[in-house]
Amino acid sequence: MEPEVIEAELVLPTHLRFKRIQMYEKYPKGQSRGRHWKHLKQIIQAENYQNYPPDEPNYVNIESPPSMHPCKKICDITGYEAPYSDPRTNLRYANAEVFKLVRSLPNEFVQRYLAQRNAAVVLK
Amino acid sequence: MPFVSRIQRQSDYSLFSPSTPIVIDNGASYFRIGWAGETDPRVVFRNIVQRPRHKTTGETVTIVGDHDPTLLKYFDCTRSGPRSAFDSNVVYQFEIMEYILDFGFDRLGANDSQIDHPILVTECVCNPVHSRSKMAELLFETYGVPSIAYGVDAAFSYKYNQQHGVCAQDGLAICPGFCTTHVIPFIDGEPVYKGCCRTNIGGFHISDYLKQLLSLKYPHHLARFTWEKVEDLKMEHCYISQDYGSEARLFQKGAKEAEEKTRCWQLPWIPPPTEEPPSEEEIARKAAIKEKQGQRLREMAEAKRSSRINELENELHGLEFLLKQLEQVEEVNIPSFLSETGYVSKQEIEAALMKVTQSLRKAKGEPKGEQAEMEEKNDPAINEKFHLINIPDNMLSAEQLKEKRKQLFLKSTTEGRQRAKQKRHEEELERERKNQEDEVKRLENPELYLEQLHAKYKGLFEKVEQRKRLKINGGHTNGNNVSGGVGRGERLNAAQRERMRLLTTAIFDRGKGEDTFGARDEDWQLYKLMSKDNDDEDDGPDEDESELARLSSRLQEVDPTFVPKSEVGTLQTAEVPRFRPLTKEDFQIVLGVERFRCPEILFRPNWIGIDQAGLDEMAGVSIRRLPSRDQELEEKLTSSVLITGGSSLFPGINERLEAGIRMIRPCGSPIKVVKALDPILDAWRGASAYAASSQFLTQTFSKADYYEKGEDWLRGYQVQYTL
Repeated sequence: MEPEVIEAELVLPTHLRFKRIQMYEKYPKGQSRGRHWKHLKQIIQAENYQNYPPDEPNYVNIESPPSMHPCKKICDITGYEAPYSDPRTNLRYANAEVFKLVRSLPNEFVQRYLAQRNAAVVLK
Repeated sequence: MPFVSRIQRQSDYSLFSPSTPIVIDNGASYFRIGWAGETDPRVVFRNIVQRPRHKTTGETVTIVGDHDPTLLKYFDCTRSGPRSAFDSNVVYQFEIMEYILDFGFDRLGANDSQIDHPILVTECVCNPVHSRSKMAELLFETYGVPSIAYGVDAAFSYKYNQQHGVCAQDGLAICPGFCTTHVIPFIDGEPVYKGCCRTNIGGFHISDYLKQLLSLKYPHHLARFTWEKVEDLKMEHCYISQDYGSEARLFQKGAKEAEEKTRCWQLPWIPPPTEEPPSEEEIARKAAIKEKQGQRLREMAEAKRSSRINELENELHGLEFLLKQLEQVEEVNIPSFLSETGYVSKQEIEAALMKVTQSLRKAKGEPKGEQAEMEEKNDPAINEKFHLINIPDNMLSAEQLKEKRKQLFLKSTTEGRQRAKQKRHEEELERERKNQEDEVKRLENPELYLEQLHAKYKGLFEKVEQRKRLKINGGHTNGNNVSGGVGRGERLNAAQRERMRLLTTAIFDRGKGEDTFGARDEDWQLYKLMSKDNDDEDDGPDEDESELARLSSRLQEVDPTFVPKSEVGTLQTAEVPRFRPLTKEDFQIVLGVERFRCPEILFRPNWIGIDQAGLDEMAGVSIRRLPSRDQELEEKLTSSVLITGGSSLFPGINERLEAGIRMIRPCGSPIKVVKALDPILDAWRGASAYAASSQFLTQTFSKADYYEKGEDWLRGYQVQYTL
């Protein structure tokens, strides 16, 4: 290791005095281990919230409901208010100038713009 | 940059008694650890872990937090990027969490055999019990912690600000964080989780949105938009507009105000060196070099030629000498003499001699035609060759008749050749004459002449081109397909269409009615029309083309600036991309609408595809969710709205939030929105003050509690914030 790396103590030491079980003891080297953690979705599923009274707050039911306000439509490219939307690309645009740009965009960019508001075509 | 990591190792760990709690604010973006009762955390770093490979030794190492990026050059970070222990705002990867805790305790200066201090850790609202129990297990088993308490960061922040008189006992805490935004109502100084709500949007989404927008707007500077840089841009330039529509309209109209609000990030850019036109000297020098090279080539060619002539002459002399010798040799000795020389007979030697003489002549540069002309010059002599022609057939024998026929044939070919030659000669003369006429015209009025010549050339050129195009593409070229070729998409020309029609009718007419094909002679013409190569037999264009060639050569002679059109044409159709020198403006990242478009997603999560209520609506949702609806309480809540958390730093958020809440509340209700003293550190400070109180230990649970009381108890576990 380079001296400046050692001086900055960049690398976490493998043995730490204050630990009862060291990292290398917990996860021995060269031993393959499957995924030992759950994603949030799996965690929530395992919580079995349906078994508890619905008025008891939990991670799932404290989520906000969908917005009641009408969604303001903005131009995907410029961010201006967008009165129009292009039926071919589904992009929203503010004026003729932007429309020209929209029509000249390669499909990859169109999809990326759509993906920003989660409206892109997803092939599964 | 408002967030600054502090990772110096602390040395006073042993000075704290085991009863002093350690306080950890475990946020999704930053990890803060310090001692209870202090005003600031001791160690602060980004809550990420990297496991790169050391470039020279090849071992995989663990690097926690953010470090000087220059030190990372010794590591190969391409395999794995920075990883977080958080999925949304819940800790789910406890291996990473362990690395982070290792690093945190290590930097706090821990050096005993275990962490012998009670610990207060923050968690999200309604943390799933799985995450809670894993965290407790980790702290108890691996670090030997005596007791733990969990609390909510936003609640600690609210309590801290309440203690400092910023907000009241009853109120709303609005906490836009890194991954999520929470609204927690407080009644009598205690959070009411029943009335709490969460939208999955936060600073991460804002930065990500900005990053996406910028990389779509400036695809050429993609590499510039690293996560860290975009975070910096967000924190420095983003603000929340009071009314998005009107603000955007300002920019759309290009108002002066908008211009002032536009920020520009100039990327490092060096103007390209301006190229000076080469000086006279330079041109002269280059010409001299070229001339010299040409001279050398000519000399080389000359030397080669002379050596070849020499060689051939030597051979010629040798052969002549051989012939002379052969004459002197007696008849009988000829075979033996010849076998020495390698030739079979005298004729062969003579043939070789002839050949050498010819090639010598060629090498010396004498015209080859001379010989042929010489042959034809003695025409009368040749005429004598055909002596039999003029004699009538009946006066000749069979042998002679045969000979006569042969002579007749030979004579006609010779005459034909001569006629062709004559024609050529006449043409030459004609051209010469035309050129001379032209010359006269030119001398009379050079400009007019040149103009006429150009016009003529142009007209002819177009005519020829037109014909060519017709031939190739049936007159329907769209300009970009001069090279032609009748492809699938190409239209056929008239002749080709006709041919196709004939072919198809020929196929489909079979067996329809009475077959009278062949009754008339014209019917057989059909086959001629059908045959493929009937469309380019006319000699018409040849004349034009030769005239065009003449004009072109003439123009080249007269006009030094003339370039034959065909070359120009190919250049034009190739669509040479016009290169524009890159300017300073090409290296500017302009932040206009983006400055307020990105943080606007806090209020309109719809824009990034998250179908949930925005910040202002959440306050209303939260109030509605409270079990007891009572106007007095609601008014109390709205008159003490505290906004805290990392994403509340955007300028203008207070006013906007106030306006937003006013819209959903009944007319005339009191609304007061205040920002926390320090939206980022207040959570830790509140937790520190909380842990320092004497009653803190009553809120903790030990390892024995954890194992005895079980998971159900842990699910319901909740600290009392008012001690």
